[in-house]
Amino acid sequence: MMNVLKLLMPAMLLLSGCSMAAQSAGDRDQNSGMQENIQQEDPLRTLPDSNISKTDSDKEIIKDNREGIIPDRLQIPAIGVDAEVEKVGMLSNGKMDVPKNDENVAWYQKGAQPGQPGNSVIAGHVDNKTGPAVFFKLEKLKKGDEIKVSGSDGNQRTFVVYAVKSYPRNEAPLNEIFGYTYRSGLNLITCTGDFDHEASTHKERLVVYTQLKN
Amino acid sequence: MNWKKGIVALPLSVSLLLPTAGIVSAQNGETHSAPTVETPAADLRATLGHLLSEHAYFAIETMRKGAEGAADFEESAGALSDNTEDLAKAISSVYGEEAGKQFHDMWSNHIGFFVDYVKATGNKDEDAKQKALDSLANYKNEFSQFLETATGERLEADALAEGLQMHVNQLIGAFDSYVAGNYEKAYEYEREAINHMHMVAKGLSSAITDQFPDKFNNTMAVTPASDLRAKLGHLLAEHAGLAMMAMQNGIDGSKDFEASAQALSENTDDLAAAISSVYGEDAGMKFKEMWSGHIGYFVDYVKATAANDEAKKEEALKNLEQYREDFSNFLETATDERLKADMLSQGLQDHVEQLIGAFNSYAGENYATAYDNVREAYAHMFTPAKALSGAFVNQFPEKFESSMPSDMPKTGMGGTAQQQEFPFELLLAGLLAIAAATGVVLRRKQIER
Repeated sequence: MMNVLKLLMPAMLLLSGCSMAAQSAGDRDQNSGMQENIQQEDPLRTLPDSNISKTDSDKEIIKDNREGIIPDRLQIPAIGVDAEVEKVGMLSNGKMDVPKNDENVAWYQKGAQPGQPGNSVIAGHVDNKTGPAVFFKLEKLKKGDEIKVSGSDGNQRTFVVYAVKSYPRNEAPLNEIFGYTYRSGLNLITCTGDFDHEASTHKERLVVYTQLKN
Repeated sequence: MNWKKGIVALPLSVSLLLPTAGIVSAQNGETHSAPTVETPAADLRATLGHLLSEHAYFAIETMRKGAEGAADFEESAGALSDNTEDLAKAISSVYGEEAGKQFHDMWSNHIGFFVDYVKATGNKDEDAKQKALDSLANYKNEFSQFLETATGERLEADALAEGLQMHVNQLIGAFDSYVAGNYEKAYEYEREAINHMHMVAKGLSSAITDQFPDKFNNTMAVTPASDLRAKLGHLLAEHAGLAMMAMQNGIDGSKDFEASAQALSENTDDLAAAISSVYGEDAGMKFKEMWSGHIGYFVDYVKATAANDEAKKEEALKNLEQYREDFSNFLETATDERLKADMLSQGLQDHVEQLIGAFNSYAGENYATAYDNVREAYAHMFTPAKALSGAFVNQFPEKFESSMPSDMPKTGMGGTAQQQEFPFELLLAGLLAIAAATGVVLRRKQIER
């Protein structure tokens, strides 16, 4: 029997070790406050400064040509994420669907494409049943960190973090996260907070708000 | 600045709608309820789209008239100024009188800078042109501050102010192209400037309704259904505006007639594409055929007017009459009688009368009446846009379902979360994994034995 316990110990440590990481993340979220005030931050320009110039008849006309890309790959150098992007829709219960593989992330294809005006959304798991998953370190992102999204055609868009917030899972502002905005936003979602066994889900949702760099 | 407190409950409504049968009046914000184009938020978006795009239209036309030294320059400028009054009223209806006044002054100033630019161009005064451009560039910052106070969101305000700055650049681009004799580009700019203002309206209405959800019944300005309504309003009103200018250019024999007719034809292509997206390619083709036909009758009318040929004018009007009937029946059939032919026919009659009226007044040099009619014709189109989009959405609700999820994704399975209760399932999973890896089961059997 002793031998069995000895053998189990590493597994228990592994579990509790990760729990501590998740717990400290939860604390940090609480400390930084649920409603981190994004208005106090420096303005991050969505659109390049448009200089007034005389029109040359050979030139293309001036227009808002922010085009999106169908994302294939997501890279977040600050936390070592380099993941494939699955394409998902909405479940019949109204929830956004999630990636099938916990090493991948998933783009919500009913919403905006990354780069288009509006909010595009990419979600990833914080953990699987036994350990960390692709967005385990998402909470470590801070204002100014960059996110790179690439499409199958090789096009890339870079986004910059402007706010990191967490919400009780039923109180996330869906309009703000999924709804329309004049800016080109990309919002990254994962779970955070304690695990609610009864509901079989984490108690909070973490949202990293980013917008198009250029 | 405390004018945010002066909010009036309902947005300005310009909708004098054609009644539509059987439109479901559910809210857009809720998933699982039928999509609809008739929400307070969609109304706000339509109002802002109407007035902002009309501004772009009249600003470009007025600058063009200024460059031409046209006889109707004053009246065209008057229409632009009336539009400013309406925009300020719309802003007041959301943010109160003080904000409306502030908006009014700021908006009028920026129009003044355009006038300076037009004058400087006429005088070939490069310094004065640059001065006007500098003033217009400053306007962006001023507008950004206004919008920040209005929407309470600086990032959004900055983005919207950038959008308005692009509007300024597009107007200058349209004017410079016109002066340089590049008419195709001038009209390409005009169409883009109109399109751009609908994008600004989309962003602005979305920001306003997010800020005051209660005032808009928790409905959203941007939904697949309201997108269709906005698209039809945009294209139908643009049709009226461009048709008017093509008719004016036609009777004047203007050098830019071809380019303006081309712009009108491109608008028809876009409208046909919108119809195709709902009813399929065949219906889109049929629509285009009828729609182009009715534009042809207007052209006939212009030609007959130029030739003083009363009989031909009469014939053109008769053809327009027939078109009204055919087109109304086409839509009644397409929408499975959600739209009634007699109602549609009346709406089309208004459209024809407004355009013919505006044209006759213009040809008769009664410019004040002409521009009243043009404004009326432009505004009118948002009524059929609401009725048509309402019927389309009602007929194919599945194509316009809300794209908003009603809940956040479930992005974790608990493998790293703190365990307050003992996680038997997880322990078991862990045990099995380790057992498999190390052969525990086998060893335990050995111990037991």
